[in-house]
Amino acid sequence: MGEELTEERSNTIPIFPGTRLITNRILELRDLRKTHVRHNGNQKDDLLVLDDISFDVDEGEFVTIIGPSGCGKSTLLNIIAGMESYQGGDVVVSGHRVSTLGPDIVMIFQEDSLFPWLTVLENVAFGLRNKGMPKEERKKTAMKYIELVQLEQFAHSYMHQLSGGMKQRVAIARGLAMNPRILLMDEPFGALDYRTREILQGQIQEIHEKTKKTILFVTHDVREAVSLGDRVILLSHRPSKIKREYAIDLPRPRSAEDPQLHGLINEIQRQLKEEVKFAEPNGTGISA
Amino acid sequence: MQSQTEQESAPSSSFKTKKLDFTSLLDIIIGAVIFFAGWQAVFWLHLYPSFLFPSPLMVLERLIFLAKSPNPKFNLGASTLITMERLAAGFTISVGLGTGVGMVMVHFRRFGRTMNSFCVGLQSYPSIAWVPFAILIVGLNNYGIVFVVVISSVFSMMVSTYSSLRNIPPIYVKAARNMGEGGVSLFKNVMLPASFPSLITGIRQTWSFAWHALIGAEILMATIGLGALLELGADFAEMNQIIAAMVIIFIIGFAVDRVLFSMVEDRVRTKRGLNQIPT
Ligand SMILES: Nc1ncnc2c1ncn2[C@@H]1O[C@H](COP(=O)(O)OP(=O)(O)O)[C@@H](O)[C@H]1O
Ligand SMILES: [Mg+2]
Repeated sequence: MGEELTEERSNTIPIFPGTRLITNRILELRDLRKTHVRHNGNQKDDLLVLDDISFDVDEGEFVTIIGPSGCGKSTLLNIIAGMESYQGGDVVVSGHRVSTLGPDIVMIFQEDSLFPWLTVLENVAFGLRNKGMPKEERKKTAMKYIELVQLEQFAHSYMHQLSGGMKQRVAIARGLAMNPRILLMDEPFGALDYRTREILQGQIQEIHEKTKKTILFVTHDVREAVSLGDRVILLSHRPSKIKREYAIDLPRPRSAEDPQLHGLINEIQRQLKEEVKFAEPNGTGISA
Repeated sequence: MQSQTEQESAPSSSFKTKKLDFTSLLDIIIGAVIFFAGWQAVFWLHLYPSFLFPSPLMVLERLIFLAKSPNPKFNLGASTLITMERLAAGFTISVGLGTGVGMVMVHFRRFGRTMNSFCVGLQSYPSIAWVPFAILIVGLNNYGIVFVVVISSVFSMMVSTYSSLRNIPPIYVKAARNMGEGGVSLFKNVMLPASFPSLITGIRQTWSFAWHALIGAEILMATIGLGALLELGADFAEMNQIIAAMVIIFIIGFAVDRVLFSMVEDRVRTKRGLNQIPT
């Protein structure tokens, strides 16, 4: 984490002198700009990916981000996680500018990022050593999160013994075990079959209710975005701007079948189609 | 938490892992029996005089004679021991040095690329052709032999360390860094285990290069050792001794490569699910 910011950038806003209302703002993006440098042989060219992205996230919020393929969703999460640099604007987490990566913000990837040489338990406990936890406590903590994703019978299994859905549950447990301030999820269910996906969508909502984690969840599936998010942020085609934001105030657990969501799903789908039309031919295709 | 869990169960039960089972052991025994029977049959044809083409029994007799021989130059145990000592020294140096240099190659990109081309070139240089160089610069002694072993195998270890580390799926490193891992700990806990299956293949290859170089160097440079036993056999036209030494060399090679390394490799691959064959 970087330097302390000035008072107005901090996550507490004074209302009356001497009184403070905690707004619980955990993440602020201000005019974020990002260009990727692409190398074609000897030539270099700049690709503007994120163009003045600004939004805030409150503590405990579940925000979903949707946008056409190649618009920069993964890039955005990588920047928030401190894994990529950016050219303009600010990324502020709990009043600190993000400059280096740390275990405060943990990412769950679409690809299989679990270590095949470790058991489920060892995978989930992996990052805890860097938090200076003694061995017994690491094991206990890891076990707690393995129970949360209902994989206790598989604690001593290796990754190849698990199905795709189970692996993503292990990845979620590993992320949660780090007790991050923000959990970033980059199309975590993208590679799963429809049925498994629906079940995991139910489980992640329950986990969110239980843990009250702040979650930023990227997806290219409209139905997933509206059934999970308290708020849906729709990104435009590249260079990406925020096109729309939708607040969804319906009781949980919800599913995309909820009739109250139909109108919204159609609306977002229409908006998204417009963006895909604009997207460059080389940037299309359904990919991560 | 919802009580419903995924319908699919863990796929482990529908897979079988490959193993050295009873049938393949039986195949090896049948193969060996046919081999010795064929050898004996050719012997009985008397195409060659028996001192040039001995029977399996005559070789066995010579093996027993060599095992009991009080002269260290002929003693089988002493010869095998010194050969294995040279091998252990050369192989250890190669693996250590090769891994170290390989790591440096990964760290410094340009050095790595250049060194990689050199290593590939040097690796195809015949190991025996190092012998004159080694005799003059190191000496006609154990150090000279170990030098030939190292120089013949170390480049293979460099190349395989380099490529093993570079071929680690970047997602593992990315995920580990995201969990606060870095520096030596990242190397030890992620990069090394991630590259281990391919590293072990490289170590196996390095061993093979070292073993080939060692026997060659011993024939030319040693007065005692398995290679020297071959050379002595040629000097005295003792074909049973030559074949006896060949058998021992074959058995050591087979035991280390087919049994030791392949067991370690198989273990690692099974643990990671790389050996699964859908049934
Ligand atoms: N490291 C990189 N170097 C150059 N270009 C990149 C890099 N990463 C992503 N890009 C490009 O930036 C654009 C956005 O990528 P990404 O963030 O992965 O999109 P999304 O996740 O929305 O599909 C794509 O056109 C991609 O080709
Ligand atoms: Mg992506």
